Amino acid sequence: MTALIIDDEIQIRRLLRMALESKGYTVREAENGTLGLQDAVFHKPDVILLDLGLPDMDGVEVLKRLREWSQVPVLILSVRDQESVKLAAFDAGADDYVTKPFSTAELLARLTAIQRRQGQDETACLSVGGLVLDPVHHEATLNGQPLKLTPTEYAMLAQLVRHAGKVVTLKHLLRAVWGPQAEQQSHYLRVYASHLRHKLEGSTLEIKNEPGIGYRLEER
Amino acid sequence: MNTEDTFKPKPAREPVPTHVVGQFSWGLTIIFVLASACWVLLPYTGYLFSALVFLMVIVLAGTRWNRGPVLAMAVVSALVWNFIFIPPQFTLHIEKPQDIIMFAIFFVVALSMGHLITRLREREAALERHHREREELLAQKHRAELLAESERLHRTLLDSISHELKTPIAIIRTALDGLGQGNPYAAEIETANRRLQRIVENFLEMTRVESEALKPHLDWCEIGDVLHATTTPLHRELAEHPSIITGIESLPLLMLDSRLLAQALGNVLHNATLYAPAGTPVEIAVSLTNNTLEFRVHDHGPGLALGIEEHLFDKFYRAPDSPAGGTGLGLAIARGLMRAMKGDIEAHNHPEGGAEFMLRLPVKTRTT
Repeated sequence: MTALIIDDEIQIRRLLRMALESKGYTVREAENGTLGLQDAVFHKPDVILLDLGLPDMDGVEVLKRLREWSQVPVLILSVRDQESVKLAAFDAGADDYVTKPFSTAELLARLTAIQRRQGQDETACLSVGGLVLDPVHHEATLNGQPLKLTPTEYAMLAQLVRHAGKVVTLKHLLRAVWGPQAEQQSHYLRVYASHLRHKLEGSTLEIKNEPGIGYRLEER
Repeated sequence: MNTEDTFKPKPAREPVPTHVVGQFSWGLTIIFVLASACWVLLPYTGYLFSALVFLMVIVLAGTRWNRGPVLAMAVVSALVWNFIFIPPQFTLHIEKPQDIIMFAIFFVVALSMGHLITRLREREAALERHHREREELLAQKHRAELLAESERLHRTLLDSISHELKTPIAIIRTALDGLGQGNPYAAEIETANRRLQRIVENFLEMTRVESEALKPHLDWCEIGDVLHATTTPLHRELAEHPSIITGIESLPLLMLDSRLLAQALGNVLHNATLYAPAGTPVEIAVSLTNNTLEFRVHDHGPGLALGIEEHLFDKFYRAPDSPAGGTGLGLAIARGLMRAMKGDIEAHNHPEGGAEFMLRLPVKTRTT
Protein backbone atom coordinates (compact mmCIF):
# COMPACT_ATOMS: atom_id res chain seq x y z
CA MET A 1 0.00 0.00 0.00
CA THR A 2 1.57 3.27 -1.13
CA ALA A 3 0.65 6.70 0.17
CA LEU A 4 1.79 9.92 -1.48
CA ILE A 5 2.09 13.02 0.69
CA ILE A 6 1.97 16.33 -1.19
CA ASP A 7 2.82 19.06 1.33
CA ASP A 8 5.44 21.80 1.40
CA GLU A 9 6.06 21.53 5.15
CA ILE A 10 8.93 19.11 5.74
CA GLN A 11 7.99 18.51 9.38
CA ILE A 12 4.44 17.59 8.47
CA ARG A 13 5.76 15.21 5.82
CA ARG A 14 8.22 13.59 8.27
CA LEU A 15 5.57 13.13 10.96
CA LEU A 16 3.00 11.78 8.53
CA ARG A 17 5.63 9.41 7.13
CA MET A 18 6.27 8.01 10.60
CA ALA A 19 2.57 7.64 11.38
CA LEU A 20 1.82 6.02 8.04
CA GLU A 21 4.84 3.70 8.02
CA SER A 22 3.84 2.44 11.45
CA LYS A 23 0.56 1.36 9.83
CA GLY A 24 2.38 -0.49 7.08
CA TYR A 25 2.19 2.09 4.30
CA THR A 26 5.02 2.73 1.88
CA VAL A 27 5.34 6.50 1.86
CA ARG A 28 6.33 8.83 -0.97
CA GLU A 29 6.72 12.58 -0.56
CA ALA A 30 6.39 15.59 -2.85
CA GLU A 31 7.00 19.18 -1.81
CA ASN A 32 4.92 20.91 -4.46
CA GLY A 33 2.06 20.32 -6.87
CA THR A 34 4.13 19.66 -9.98
CA LEU A 35 6.34 17.07 -8.29
CA GLY A 36 3.23 15.56 -6.69
CA LEU A 37 1.48 15.13 -10.03
CA GLN A 38 4.64 13.62 -11.56
CA ASP A 39 4.96 11.20 -8.70
CA ALA A 40 1.30 10.23 -9.00
CA VAL A 41 1.83 9.47 -12.71
CA PHE A 42 4.98 7.38 -12.28
CA HIS A 43 4.30 5.56 -9.04
CA LYS A 44 0.51 5.18 -9.00
CA PRO A 45 0.00 5.57 -5.21
CA ASP A 46 -3.00 3.90 -3.56
CA VAL A 47 -3.92 7.03 -1.65
CA ILE A 48 -2.88 10.69 -1.75
CA LEU A 49 -2.69 13.17 1.14
CA LEU A 50 -2.87 16.64 -0.38
CA ASP A 51 -2.25 20.03 1.19
CA LEU A 52 -4.10 23.00 -0.33
CA GLY A 53 -1.51 25.74 0.21
CA LEU A 54 1.29 24.60 -2.06
CA PRO A 55 4.07 26.93 -3.23
CA ASP A 56 3.62 26.44 -6.97
CA MET A 57 -0.13 25.93 -7.41
CA ASP A 58 -3.30 25.64 -5.39
CA GLY A 59 -4.10 22.16 -4.11
CA VAL A 60 -7.54 22.27 -5.72
CA GLU A 61 -5.81 22.77 -9.07
CA VAL A 62 -3.59 19.73 -8.40
CA LEU A 63 -6.72 17.75 -7.60
CA LYS A 64 -8.48 18.85 -10.80
CA ARG A 65 -5.50 17.82 -12.94
CA LEU A 66 -5.23 14.52 -11.10
CA ARG A 67 -8.92 13.78 -11.61
CA GLU A 68 -8.50 14.12 -15.38
CA TRP A 69 -6.97 10.70 -15.46
CA SER A 70 -7.07 9.09 -12.01
CA GLN A 71 -9.67 8.03 -9.48
CA VAL A 72 -7.12 7.46 -6.69
CA PRO A 73 -8.60 8.31 -3.25
CA VAL A 74 -7.49 11.79 -2.16
CA LEU A 75 -7.60 13.14 1.38
CA ILE A 76 -7.27 16.91 1.68
CA LEU A 77 -5.18 18.04 4.64
CA SER A 78 -5.36 21.79 5.11
CA VAL A 79 -5.37 24.62 7.62
CA ARG A 80 -8.22 26.27 5.71
CA ASP A 81 -11.45 25.50 7.48
CA GLN A 82 -13.97 27.65 5.61
CA GLU A 83 -16.97 25.84 4.23
CA SER A 84 -16.49 27.35 0.75
CA VAL A 85 -12.93 25.99 0.53
CA LYS A 86 -14.06 22.54 1.61
CA LEU A 87 -16.93 22.53 -0.87
CA ALA A 88 -14.58 23.56 -3.68
CA ALA A 89 -12.29 20.66 -2.79
CA PHE A 90 -15.18 18.17 -2.76
CA ASP A 91 -16.45 19.54 -6.07
CA ALA A 92 -12.99 19.03 -7.54
CA GLY A 93 -13.13 15.36 -6.51
CA ALA A 94 -11.71 15.13 -2.99
CA ASP A 95 -12.77 12.05 -1.03
CA ASP A 96 -12.49 13.60 2.40
CA TYR A 97 -11.18 16.65 4.18
CA VAL A 98 -9.23 16.92 7.44
CA THR A 99 -8.29 20.30 8.87
CA LYS A 100 -4.91 20.91 10.51
CA PRO A 101 -4.28 20.53 13.40
CA PHE A 102 -5.64 16.98 13.22
CA SER A 103 -5.58 13.93 15.42
CA THR A 104 -3.46 11.14 13.97
CA ALA A 105 -5.96 8.46 14.91
CA GLU A 106 -8.74 10.31 13.12
CA LEU A 107 -6.56 10.88 10.07
CA LEU A 108 -5.71 7.18 9.82
CA ALA A 109 -9.37 6.21 10.21
CA ARG A 110 -10.37 8.60 7.41
CA LEU A 111 -7.59 7.26 5.24
CA THR A 112 -8.83 3.69 5.69
CA ALA A 113 -12.41 4.77 5.00
CA ILE A 114 -11.64 6.46 1.68
CA GLN A 115 -9.62 3.48 0.46
CA ARG A 116 -12.37 0.96 1.00
CA ARG A 117 -13.21 -0.42 -2.41
CA GLN A 118 -16.56 1.01 -3.32
CA GLY A 119 -19.36 -0.56 -5.34
CA GLN A 120 -17.29 -3.50 -6.55
CA ASP A 121 -20.20 -5.82 -6.18
CA GLU A 122 -23.57 -4.08 -6.17
CA THR A 123 -25.37 -7.19 -4.95
CA ALA A 124 -23.06 -8.04 -2.06
CA CYS A 125 -24.39 -7.38 1.42
CA LEU A 126 -23.25 -4.13 2.95
CA SER A 127 -22.47 -4.19 6.61
CA VAL A 128 -21.08 -1.90 9.24
CA GLY A 129 -21.24 -2.04 13.03
CA GLY A 130 -24.06 -4.57 13.35
CA LEU A 131 -26.06 -3.05 10.51
CA VAL A 132 -26.48 -5.27 7.47
CA LEU A 133 -28.13 -4.12 4.24
CA ASP A 134 -29.31 -6.57 1.64
CA PRO A 135 -29.25 -4.70 -1.69
CA VAL A 136 -31.22 -7.41 -3.52
CA HIS A 137 -34.28 -7.37 -1.27
CA HIS A 138 -33.80 -3.84 0.08
CA GLU A 139 -33.96 -5.11 3.62
CA ALA A 140 -31.94 -4.15 6.64
CA THR A 141 -31.11 -5.77 9.95
CA LEU A 142 -29.59 -4.12 12.97
CA ASN A 143 -27.83 -6.47 15.42
CA GLY A 144 -29.82 -9.35 13.91
CA GLN A 145 -33.18 -7.60 14.35
CA PRO A 146 -35.05 -6.52 11.21
CA LEU A 147 -35.01 -2.75 10.78
CA LYS A 148 -38.10 -1.23 9.20
CA LEU A 149 -37.16 1.35 6.60
CA THR A 150 -39.12 3.16 3.90
CA PRO A 151 -37.60 2.90 0.38
CA THR A 152 -36.19 6.44 0.66
CA GLU A 153 -34.71 5.76 4.08
CA TYR A 154 -33.19 2.59 2.72
CA ALA A 155 -31.68 4.40 -0.26
CA MET A 156 -30.14 7.08 1.93
CA LEU A 157 -28.82 4.63 4.49
CA ALA A 158 -27.34 2.50 1.69
CA GLN A 159 -25.37 5.50 0.45
CA LEU A 160 -24.05 6.21 3.94
CA VAL A 161 -23.17 2.57 4.58
CA ARG A 162 -21.48 2.18 1.21
CA HIS A 163 -19.26 5.13 2.13
CA ALA A 164 -19.10 4.38 5.87
CA GLY A 165 -16.60 6.53 7.72
CA LYS A 166 -16.35 8.94 4.81
CA VAL A 167 -18.23 12.17 4.35
CA VAL A 168 -20.96 11.94 1.73
CA THR A 169 -21.73 15.39 0.32
CA LEU A 170 -25.26 16.82 0.35
CA LYS A 171 -25.16 17.03 -3.43
CA HIS A 172 -24.15 13.40 -3.81
CA LEU A 173 -26.85 12.18 -1.42
CA LEU A 174 -29.61 14.24 -3.03
CA ARG A 175 -28.57 13.07 -6.48
CA ALA A 176 -28.26 9.43 -5.53
CA VAL A 177 -31.49 9.21 -3.54
CA TRP A 178 -33.84 11.75 -5.12
CA GLY A 179 -32.28 12.31 -8.54
CA PRO A 180 -30.39 15.21 -10.15
CA GLN A 181 -33.37 17.59 -10.10
CA ALA A 182 -33.39 17.48 -6.28
CA GLU A 183 -29.90 18.92 -5.82
CA GLN A 184 -31.18 22.06 -4.09
CA GLN A 185 -33.71 20.32 -1.85
CA SER A 186 -31.50 19.92 1.20
CA HIS A 187 -34.52 19.90 3.52
CA TYR A 188 -35.35 16.34 2.31
CA LEU A 189 -32.03 15.21 3.73
CA ARG A 190 -32.51 16.88 7.09
CA VAL A 191 -35.83 15.11 7.58
CA TYR A 192 -34.60 11.67 6.54
CA ALA A 193 -31.35 12.02 8.45
CA SER A 194 -33.33 12.62 11.62
CA HIS A 195 -35.63 9.65 10.85
CA LEU A 196 -32.60 7.44 10.35
CA ARG A 197 -31.00 8.68 13.54
CA HIS A 198 -34.11 7.68 15.48
CA LYS A 199 -34.07 4.23 13.91
CA LEU A 200 -30.38 3.72 14.66
CA GLU A 201 -30.73 4.82 18.27
CA GLY A 202 -29.17 2.35 20.67
CA SER A 203 -26.69 1.04 18.09
CA THR A 204 -23.02 1.94 17.81
CA LEU A 205 -23.69 3.81 14.58
CA GLU A 206 -23.97 7.53 14.38
CA ILE A 207 -24.97 9.75 11.48
CA LYS A 208 -22.82 12.82 11.86
CA ASN A 209 -23.53 16.11 10.17
CA GLU A 210 -20.64 18.09 8.72
CA PRO A 211 -22.09 21.60 8.62
CA GLY A 212 -22.62 22.75 5.05
CA ILE A 213 -20.82 19.72 3.60
CA GLY A 214 -22.71 16.51 4.18
CA TYR A 215 -23.18 13.46 6.38
CA ARG A 216 -20.87 10.80 7.68
CA LEU A 217 -21.82 7.43 9.12
CA GLU A 218 -19.47 6.59 11.95
CA GLU A 219 -19.04 3.73 14.33
CA ARG A 220 -18.50 4.80 17.89
CA MET B 1 -29.05 76.26 -10.91
CA ASN B 2 -31.32 78.61 -12.72
CA THR B 3 -29.71 77.91 -16.03
CA GLU B 4 -31.21 74.46 -15.77
CA ASP B 5 -34.68 75.77 -15.09
CA THR B 6 -34.96 77.35 -18.47
CA PHE B 7 -34.64 73.94 -20.13
CA LYS B 8 -37.33 72.32 -18.09
CA PRO B 9 -41.04 73.05 -18.31
CA LYS B 10 -41.67 74.99 -15.13
CA PRO B 11 -44.29 73.84 -12.71
CA ALA B 12 -47.10 76.36 -12.51
CA ARG B 13 -46.30 79.60 -10.68
CA GLU B 14 -43.04 78.87 -9.07
CA PRO B 15 -41.77 81.98 -7.31
CA VAL B 16 -38.94 83.72 -9.19
CA PRO B 17 -35.68 83.42 -7.23
CA THR B 18 -34.57 86.65 -5.57
CA HIS B 19 -31.27 86.87 -7.43
CA VAL B 20 -33.17 86.82 -10.76
CA VAL B 21 -35.37 89.66 -9.50
CA GLY B 22 -32.12 91.43 -8.62
CA GLN B 23 -30.83 90.89 -12.17
CA PHE B 24 -34.03 92.40 -13.63
CA SER B 25 -33.75 95.52 -11.52
CA TRP B 26 -30.02 95.88 -12.12
CA GLY B 27 -30.58 95.43 -15.83
CA LEU B 28 -33.20 98.18 -15.98
CA THR B 29 -31.09 100.49 -13.81
CA ILE B 30 -28.06 100.04 -16.06
CA ILE B 31 -30.13 100.75 -19.17
CA PHE B 32 -31.45 103.98 -17.69
CA VAL B 33 -28.03 105.09 -16.47
CA LEU B 34 -26.52 104.44 -19.90
CA ALA B 35 -29.45 106.07 -21.63
CA SER B 36 -28.88 109.20 -19.52
CA ALA B 37 -25.14 109.17 -20.29
CA CYS B 38 -25.77 108.77 -24.01
CA TRP B 39 -28.36 111.53 -23.82
CA VAL B 40 -25.68 113.85 -22.48
CA LEU B 41 -23.24 112.74 -25.18
CA LEU B 42 -25.85 112.78 -27.96
CA PRO B 43 -24.73 116.12 -29.51
CA TYR B 44 -21.17 114.78 -29.93
CA THR B 45 -21.82 111.14 -30.90
CA GLY B 46 -25.07 110.86 -32.79
CA TYR B 47 -27.91 108.47 -32.00
CA LEU B 48 -26.25 105.33 -33.46
CA PHE B 49 -23.59 105.40 -30.75
CA SER B 50 -26.14 104.68 -28.02
CA ALA B 51 -27.39 101.62 -29.93
CA LEU B 52 -23.87 100.15 -29.88
CA VAL B 53 -23.50 100.90 -26.17
CA PHE B 54 -26.78 99.07 -25.47
CA LEU B 55 -25.66 96.06 -27.55
CA MET B 56 -22.38 95.88 -25.66
CA VAL B 57 -24.15 95.93 -22.31
CA ILE B 58 -26.55 93.18 -23.41
CA VAL B 59 -23.62 91.01 -24.52
CA LEU B 60 -21.84 91.58 -21.19
CA ALA B 61 -25.00 90.82 -19.22
CA GLY B 62 -25.49 87.64 -21.27
CA THR B 63 -22.13 86.30 -20.11
CA ARG B 64 -23.22 86.40 -16.47
CA TRP B 65 -26.96 86.61 -16.05
CA ASN B 66 -29.99 84.49 -16.71
CA ARG B 67 -31.80 84.58 -19.98
CA GLY B 68 -34.96 86.30 -18.69
CA PRO B 69 -33.31 89.51 -17.47
CA VAL B 70 -31.03 89.66 -20.55
CA LEU B 71 -33.93 89.37 -23.00
CA ALA B 72 -35.86 91.95 -20.98
CA MET B 73 -32.85 94.29 -21.27
CA ALA B 74 -32.82 93.73 -25.05
CA VAL B 75 -36.51 94.65 -25.37
CA VAL B 76 -36.33 97.64 -23.01
CA SER B 77 -33.13 99.04 -24.59
CA ALA B 78 -34.71 98.76 -28.08
CA LEU B 79 -37.75 100.68 -26.88
CA VAL B 80 -35.63 103.25 -25.02
CA TRP B 81 -33.42 103.75 -28.07
CA ASN B 82 -36.46 104.22 -30.22
CA PHE B 83 -38.22 106.53 -27.74
CA ILE B 84 -35.29 108.75 -26.73
CA PHE B 85 -32.74 108.66 -29.52
CA ILE B 86 -34.33 107.92 -32.87
CA PRO B 87 -35.78 111.12 -34.33
CA PRO B 88 -38.42 112.27 -33.80
CA GLN B 89 -37.40 112.05 -30.16
CA PHE B 90 -39.80 111.15 -27.32
CA THR B 91 -42.21 109.22 -29.53
CA LEU B 92 -42.22 105.60 -30.56
CA HIS B 93 -42.95 106.81 -34.05
CA ILE B 94 -40.07 106.56 -36.55
CA GLU B 95 -39.96 108.84 -39.51
CA LYS B 96 -37.20 107.71 -41.86
CA PRO B 97 -37.45 104.30 -43.51
CA GLN B 98 -33.73 103.58 -42.86
CA ASP B 99 -34.30 104.27 -39.13
CA ILE B 100 -37.18 101.77 -39.13
CA ILE B 101 -34.88 99.18 -40.66
CA MET B 102 -32.12 100.04 -38.17
CA PHE B 103 -34.55 99.74 -35.27
CA ALA B 104 -35.69 96.36 -36.58
CA ILE B 105 -32.07 95.23 -36.96
CA PHE B 106 -31.21 96.46 -33.45
CA PHE B 107 -34.20 94.61 -32.05
CA VAL B 108 -33.27 91.34 -33.79
CA VAL B 109 -29.54 91.64 -32.97
CA ALA B 110 -30.15 92.49 -29.29
CA LEU B 111 -32.58 89.60 -28.82
CA SER B 112 -30.48 87.03 -30.66
CA MET B 113 -27.26 88.13 -28.94
CA GLY B 114 -28.93 87.83 -25.55
CA HIS B 115 -30.35 84.45 -26.48
CA LEU B 116 -27.16 83.03 -28.03
CA ILE B 117 -24.81 84.15 -25.33
CA THR B 118 -26.92 82.89 -22.44
CA ARG B 119 -27.35 79.59 -24.29
CA LEU B 120 -23.64 79.31 -24.84
CA ARG B 121 -23.09 79.79 -21.17
CA GLU B 122 -25.69 77.13 -20.30
CA ARG B 123 -23.98 74.69 -22.64
CA GLU B 124 -20.69 75.36 -21.00
CA ALA B 125 -22.19 74.80 -17.58
CA ALA B 126 -23.83 71.55 -18.72
CA LEU B 127 -20.56 70.37 -20.20
CA GLU B 128 -18.74 71.15 -17.01
CA ARG B 129 -21.40 69.34 -15.04
CA HIS B 130 -21.02 66.25 -17.24
CA HIS B 131 -17.31 66.44 -16.82
CA ARG B 132 -17.66 66.60 -13.04
CA GLU B 133 -20.12 63.67 -13.05
CA ARG B 134 -17.73 61.62 -15.14
CA GLU B 135 -14.88 62.37 -12.81
CA GLU B 136 -17.06 61.46 -9.86
CA LEU B 137 -17.96 58.15 -11.51
CA LEU B 138 -14.35 57.42 -12.32
CA ALA B 139 -13.39 58.16 -8.74
CA GLN B 140 -16.12 55.83 -7.50
CA LYS B 141 -14.94 53.07 -9.80
CA HIS B 142 -11.40 53.59 -8.63
CA ARG B 143 -12.50 53.39 -5.00
CA ALA B 144 -14.43 50.15 -5.66
CA GLU B 145 -11.39 48.64 -7.36
CA LEU B 146 -9.19 49.64 -4.48
CA LEU B 147 -11.64 48.10 -2.02
CA ALA B 148 -11.79 44.83 -3.94
CA GLU B 149 -8.02 44.79 -4.16
CA SER B 150 -7.61 45.41 -0.45
CA GLU B 151 -10.18 42.71 0.32
CA ARG B 152 -8.24 40.24 -1.82
CA LEU B 153 -5.00 41.25 -0.19
CA HIS B 154 -6.63 40.90 3.19
CA ARG B 155 -7.82 37.40 2.38
CA THR B 156 -4.43 36.34 1.03
CA LEU B 157 -2.76 37.75 4.10
CA LEU B 158 -5.26 36.04 6.39
CA ASP B 159 -4.73 32.75 4.54
CA SER B 160 -0.97 32.98 4.82
CA ILE B 161 -0.99 34.10 8.46
CA SER B 162 -3.40 31.34 9.39
CA HIS B 163 -1.13 28.87 7.57
CA GLU B 164 1.93 30.16 9.41
CA LEU B 165 0.26 30.04 12.82
CA LYS B 166 -1.62 26.80 12.49
CA THR B 167 1.15 24.73 10.91
CA PRO B 168 3.42 24.69 13.99
CA ILE B 169 0.40 23.88 16.18
CA ALA B 170 -0.45 21.01 13.84
CA ILE B 171 3.16 19.77 13.97
CA ILE B 172 3.17 19.82 17.78
CA ARG B 173 -0.17 18.04 17.87
CA THR B 174 0.95 15.30 15.48
CA ALA B 175 4.28 14.88 17.26
CA LEU B 176 2.44 14.52 20.58
CA ASP B 177 0.18 11.87 19.03
CA GLY B 178 3.36 10.07 18.04
CA LEU B 179 4.75 10.24 21.59
CA GLY B 180 1.70 8.42 22.84
CA GLN B 181 -0.31 8.77 26.03
CA GLY B 182 0.98 8.51 29.55
CA ASN B 183 3.82 11.01 29.62
CA PRO B 184 2.88 13.80 32.07
CA TYR B 185 5.16 16.29 30.30
CA ALA B 186 3.54 15.52 26.98
CA ALA B 187 0.15 16.04 28.60
CA GLU B 188 1.22 19.53 29.72
CA ILE B 189 2.44 20.39 26.23
CA GLU B 190 -0.81 19.14 24.82
CA THR B 191 -2.87 21.34 27.13
CA ALA B 192 -0.75 24.36 26.27
CA ASN B 193 -0.95 23.57 22.57
CA ARG B 194 -4.72 23.30 22.77
CA ARG B 195 -4.84 26.70 24.45
CA LEU B 196 -2.60 28.17 21.80
CA GLN B 197 -4.82 26.73 19.11
CA ARG B 198 -7.89 28.31 20.67
CA ILE B 199 -6.18 31.70 20.85
CA VAL B 200 -5.02 31.55 17.25
CA GLU B 201 -8.46 30.48 16.07
CA ASN B 202 -10.07 33.29 18.05
CA PHE B 203 -7.73 35.90 16.57
CA LEU B 204 -8.32 34.66 13.06
CA GLU B 205 -12.07 34.48 13.57
CA MET B 206 -12.13 37.99 15.05
CA THR B 207 -10.29 39.28 12.01
CA ARG B 208 -12.75 37.53 9.75
CA VAL B 209 -15.73 38.94 11.67
CA GLU B 210 -14.29 42.45 11.57
CA SER B 211 -13.32 42.39 7.92
CA GLU B 212 -17.03 41.92 7.11
CA ALA B 213 -16.00 39.18 4.75
CA LEU B 214 -18.43 37.04 6.68
CA LYS B 215 -21.40 36.11 4.57
CA PRO B 216 -23.92 33.70 6.08
CA HIS B 217 -24.48 30.61 3.99
CA LEU B 218 -28.13 29.74 4.63
CA ASP B 219 -29.55 26.27 4.35
CA TRP B 220 -32.27 24.19 5.98
CA CYS B 221 -30.94 22.90 9.27
CA GLU B 222 -32.04 20.69 12.03
CA ILE B 223 -31.40 22.29 15.37
CA GLY B 224 -30.06 19.00 16.74
CA ASP B 225 -27.29 19.12 14.14
CA VAL B 226 -26.41 22.67 15.15
CA LEU B 227 -26.20 21.73 18.82
CA HIS B 228 -24.18 18.67 17.95
CA ALA B 229 -21.72 20.82 16.02
CA THR B 230 -21.66 23.17 19.01
CA THR B 231 -20.93 20.63 21.71
CA THR B 232 -18.59 18.22 19.88
CA PRO B 233 -15.52 20.49 19.89
CA LEU B 234 -16.21 21.29 23.55
CA HIS B 235 -16.49 17.73 24.81
CA ARG B 236 -13.48 18.21 27.12
CA GLU B 237 -14.95 21.31 28.78
CA LEU B 238 -18.46 19.89 28.87
CA ALA B 239 -17.25 16.74 30.60
CA GLU B 240 -17.24 18.78 33.82
CA HIS B 241 -20.43 20.63 32.99
CA PRO B 242 -23.30 18.41 31.92
CA SER B 243 -25.27 20.35 29.32
CA ILE B 244 -29.04 20.15 29.65
CA ILE B 245 -30.77 20.97 26.40
CA THR B 246 -34.52 21.63 26.33
CA GLY B 247 -37.04 22.72 23.74
CA ILE B 248 -35.63 21.14 20.59
CA GLU B 249 -38.10 18.27 20.18
CA SER B 250 -40.85 20.14 18.38
CA LEU B 251 -38.76 22.52 16.30
CA PRO B 252 -39.24 22.50 12.53
CA LEU B 253 -36.43 22.81 10.01
CA LEU B 254 -34.86 26.26 10.16
CA MET B 255 -33.13 28.33 7.49
CA LEU B 256 -29.80 29.41 8.98
CA ASP B 257 -26.03 29.18 8.73
CA SER B 258 -25.33 26.27 11.02
CA ARG B 259 -21.57 26.77 11.12
CA LEU B 260 -21.76 30.40 12.25
CA LEU B 261 -24.53 29.72 14.74
CA ALA B 262 -22.72 26.70 16.17
CA GLN B 263 -19.61 28.78 16.61
CA ALA B 264 -21.39 31.69 18.30
CA LEU B 265 -23.21 29.31 20.60
CA GLY B 266 -20.01 27.34 21.21
CA ASN B 267 -18.19 30.48 22.35
CA VAL B 268 -20.98 31.33 24.80
CA LEU B 269 -21.00 27.77 26.08
CA HIS B 270 -17.24 27.71 26.45
CA ASN B 271 -17.43 30.97 28.38
CA ALA B 272 -20.02 29.45 30.71
CA THR B 273 -17.79 26.43 31.42
CA LEU B 274 -14.89 28.77 32.27
CA TYR B 275 -16.75 30.63 35.00
CA ALA B 276 -19.10 28.04 36.49
CA PRO B 277 -17.68 25.70 39.14
CA ALA B 278 -16.97 22.16 37.95
CA GLY B 279 -19.90 19.78 38.23
CA THR B 280 -22.59 22.42 37.78
CA PRO B 281 -24.78 22.00 34.73
CA VAL B 282 -25.16 24.45 31.85
CA GLU B 283 -28.75 24.72 30.71
CA ILE B 284 -29.58 25.52 27.12
CA ALA B 285 -33.24 26.33 26.45
CA VAL B 286 -34.22 26.64 22.80
CA SER B 287 -37.45 28.27 21.67
CA LEU B 288 -39.02 29.60 18.51
CA THR B 289 -41.54 32.45 18.59
CA ASN B 290 -42.69 34.46 15.58
CA ASN B 291 -39.79 33.31 13.42
CA THR B 292 -37.25 34.27 16.04
CA LEU B 293 -35.06 31.49 17.30
CA GLU B 294 -33.84 32.02 20.83
CA PHE B 295 -31.20 30.22 22.85
CA ARG B 296 -30.96 30.89 26.56
CA VAL B 297 -27.70 29.65 28.00
CA HIS B 298 -27.89 29.61 31.78
CA ASP B 299 -24.90 28.66 33.93
CA HIS B 300 -24.60 28.21 37.67
CA GLY B 301 -21.50 30.32 38.12
CA PRO B 302 -21.11 33.53 40.10
CA GLY B 303 -23.06 35.57 37.56
CA LEU B 304 -22.08 38.89 36.04
CA ALA B 305 -20.48 41.56 38.21
CA LEU B 306 -22.45 44.77 38.49
CA GLY B 307 -22.20 47.01 35.45
CA ILE B 308 -20.17 44.77 33.18
CA GLU B 309 -23.06 43.92 30.86
CA GLU B 310 -22.16 46.75 28.48
CA HIS B 311 -18.52 45.69 28.18
CA LEU B 312 -19.02 41.96 28.14
CA PHE B 313 -19.09 41.78 24.34
CA ASP B 314 -16.27 44.26 23.75
CA LYS B 315 -13.10 43.09 22.09
CA PHE B 316 -10.35 42.11 24.56
CA TYR B 317 -12.60 42.86 27.54
CA ARG B 318 -11.98 40.49 30.41
CA ALA B 319 -14.17 40.56 33.47
CA PRO B 320 -12.40 41.16 36.80
CA ASP B 321 -11.38 37.86 38.47
CA SER B 322 -11.38 36.01 35.15
CA PRO B 323 -9.46 32.75 35.17
CA ALA B 324 -6.00 32.84 33.56
CA GLY B 325 -5.82 32.16 29.86
CA GLY B 326 -8.23 33.64 27.40
CA THR B 327 -8.09 36.68 25.22
CA GLY B 328 -11.40 38.37 25.83
CA LEU B 329 -12.41 37.63 22.25
CA GLY B 330 -14.86 34.73 22.57
CA LEU B 331 -17.94 36.79 23.37
CA ALA B 332 -16.94 39.60 20.97
CA ILE B 333 -16.78 37.00 18.21
CA ALA B 334 -20.12 35.53 19.29
CA ARG B 335 -21.71 38.95 18.98
CA GLY B 336 -20.02 39.60 15.62
CA LEU B 337 -21.28 36.29 14.29
CA MET B 338 -24.82 36.82 15.57
CA ARG B 339 -24.94 40.29 14.02
CA ALA B 340 -23.58 38.99 10.74
CA MET B 341 -26.66 36.74 10.73
CA LYS B 342 -28.94 39.70 11.59
CA GLY B 343 -29.42 38.38 15.10
CA ASP B 344 -28.06 39.59 18.42
CA ILE B 345 -26.87 38.50 21.82
CA GLU B 346 -27.29 39.89 25.31
CA ALA B 347 -26.57 38.83 28.85
CA HIS B 348 -27.95 39.37 32.34
CA ASN B 349 -28.05 37.63 35.67
CA HIS B 350 -30.61 34.89 36.09
CA PRO B 351 -33.06 35.45 38.98
CA GLU B 352 -32.05 32.07 40.40
CA GLY B 353 -28.35 32.94 40.21
CA GLY B 354 -25.71 32.51 37.54
CA ALA B 355 -25.43 34.31 34.24
CA GLU B 356 -27.85 33.95 31.38
CA PHE B 357 -26.95 34.66 27.76
CA MET B 358 -29.65 35.11 25.18
CA LEU B 359 -28.94 34.60 21.50
CA ARG B 360 -31.69 35.61 19.10
CA LEU B 361 -31.83 34.98 15.41
CA PRO B 362 -34.52 35.64 12.78
CA VAL B 363 -35.19 32.42 10.85
CA LYS B 364 -37.45 31.05 8.18
CA THR B 365 -39.15 27.81 9.18
CA ARG B 366 -40.36 24.77 7.36
CA THR B 367 -42.72 22.31 8.96
CA THR B 368 -42.06 18.74 7.97
